[in-house]
Amino acid sequence: MVQTYLEKTSMVDVEKRIAIELRGVKKHFYDSDENVIQVIKDITLDIKEKEFISIVGPSGCGKSTMFNIIAGLMEPSEGNVKVHGESIGSSTGHVGYMMQKDLLFPWRTILDNVSLGLEVKGIAKKEREDIALEYLAKYGLADFAKAYPATLSGGMRQRVALIRTLAIDPDIILLDEPFSALDYQTRLVLEEEILGILRDFGKTAVLITHDIGEAIAMSDRIAVMTQRPTSVKKIYDVGLAKRLGSGMKARADQRYNEFFENIWADLDIQIGRSS
Amino acid sequence: MEMIQVENVTKQKIRKVKRKSTPILFINLCRLGIILGLLAVWELAVRFQMINPFLMGSPSGIWEESVRLVQSGQLFTDMFATVYGTIFGFVLGSLLGSIIGLLLWYSKTFANIIDPFVVALNGLPKIALAPMIIIWFGSGMFSKIALASIATFIVALLSAYQGTHQIDSNLINLMKSLGATKGQIFKKVVIPSSLPWIISAFRLNIGFALIAVIGGEFISSDKGLGRMIFVAGNLFNLNVVWVGVLTLMAVAIILYVGVSKMESRLIPWEASNKQREN
Ligand SMILES: Nc1ncnc2c1ncn2[C@@H]1O[C@H](COP(=O)(O)OP(=O)(O)OP(=O)(O)O)[C@@H](O)[C@H]1O
Ligand SMILES: [Mg+2]
Repeated sequence: MVQTYLEKTSMVDVEKRIAIELRGVKKHFYDSDENVIQVIKDITLDIKEKEFISIVGPSGCGKSTMFNIIAGLMEPSEGNVKVHGESIGSSTGHVGYMMQKDLLFPWRTILDNVSLGLEVKGIAKKEREDIALEYLAKYGLADFAKAYPATLSGGMRQRVALIRTLAIDPDIILLDEPFSALDYQTRLVLEEEILGILRDFGKTAVLITHDIGEAIAMSDRIAVMTQRPTSVKKIYDVGLAKRLGSGMKARADQRYNEFFENIWADLDIQIGRSS
Repeated sequence: MEMIQVENVTKQKIRKVKRKSTPILFINLCRLGIILGLLAVWELAVRFQMINPFLMGSPSGIWEESVRLVQSGQLFTDMFATVYGTIFGFVLGSLLGSIIGLLLWYSKTFANIIDPFVVALNGLPKIALAPMIIIWFGSGMFSKIALASIATFIVALLSAYQGTHQIDSNLINLMKSLGATKGQIFKKVVIPSSLPWIISAFRLNIGFALIAVIGGEFISSDKGLGRMIFVAGNLFNLNVVWVGVLTLMAVAIILYVGVSKMESRLIPWEASNKQREN
């Protein structure tokens, strides 16, 4: 019932052009004894342009691996990935990727860390520092521009990593648990911020999170993944944030709880099966 | 009773505080005391003919010789020659070695090919090459620089190469995801992330360079502290030997401190890491 209603509205809300197309993507690794470890069984998924999609799934199922493939850091064992209609092969640089670890360069100041992406793209020093400073000021980190990452708290470092990803102004943003080191309040504020940015600039975002509530509050759609070797188990059309205007309002909506229970059940069954 | 106890406790506290705030001066005074004491015992032993100044030298003799050598300017000529050869050789060998070690990051295959040669060269005590180097480059400054360069080159190369192996692969992935070229990754990740390893090799290398230069000067040279010590030793002029050894000691300390200072300049982020840990 709910599903059909949402499907209808999301058809209207979300453009149909496809930003990322995953077709029969499989990935296995070899362990030290040359045994095959199957990580991704089969992911076939279309991520639409300007859509916000969240990926939730059990720990270690292969979510980050999927991101690494989309970013072009590793090639799938089988299947292929298209970004804006073009096969990526082993090319890189087509998405903004905020990795799971905050990964700041210890030898660069916060300012230089934030402007890293712009530097790689060959933007002049003055210009990239202006951009970086503007972002830092916006997120209350201007005082730390000249500090080294080691002197920042975990939450601040994560925010810097997020800013670094946004600073290059990518069409597509991959966020691998971007809020995990933040306190709840900052998290809510940043969720709102991100939603605002994505809405204003019409970006496509894929979010990996273990926080079901966060996924519901922010997403147009949620893909629930199975245990490893992983595949897409179920896709929920949510779209609460877009329709209600904010993640806060989405959290207050009664459908929020409904989604929560369903997704929780999906994940729960898998955890039960694994143990 | 209680009053006394309280008093005792405060006294102890004060003593503790004092002990913590004055140790450097106290320790330095002790050190100075040891040196002066040793010199006094030595000088007295010579005066009372308990030891032979011809075989051991004497503090007063050492003083006289140093005044003479300073006045004639010979001490500075020799010191300058040794320091010059050491620094030049150190810089040349360490820089070349570090650069090549870093560049090996570009090609695993090439690194693999030269690996056994590097290991073999590393095991060789470099001073064994001195006679050859002196035959090829003469007994002047050039052979000393060459010796110091060779002595420092391999250590620097190995350290830098090892440094490139310790790089967090996530950082490289991050650069790739930004669309960075291999050259950009080299410049922005490989070099800075290997710097701590390179610098730690520098600290070893300044010592190796000095050893190489002194060794070369022993074998054949026209000036330098090594030559001064060697020649005076052959003439049983122990006071001059002492002047040479003590000057060399001072030179070694100054060079080492200089390199250590360079460390905090070149890797300032490590300093802020340490600050945080404290
Ligand atoms: N380069 C690799 N070589 C071998 N195994 C790997 C490699 N990368 C990932 N794996 C394995 O693949 C599996 C999935 O890893 P991945 O990091 O994608 O999981 P995840 O879903 O992101 O987990 P989490 O939620 O804990 O972040 C893990 O078992 C991991 O050990
Ligand atoms: Mg992960």
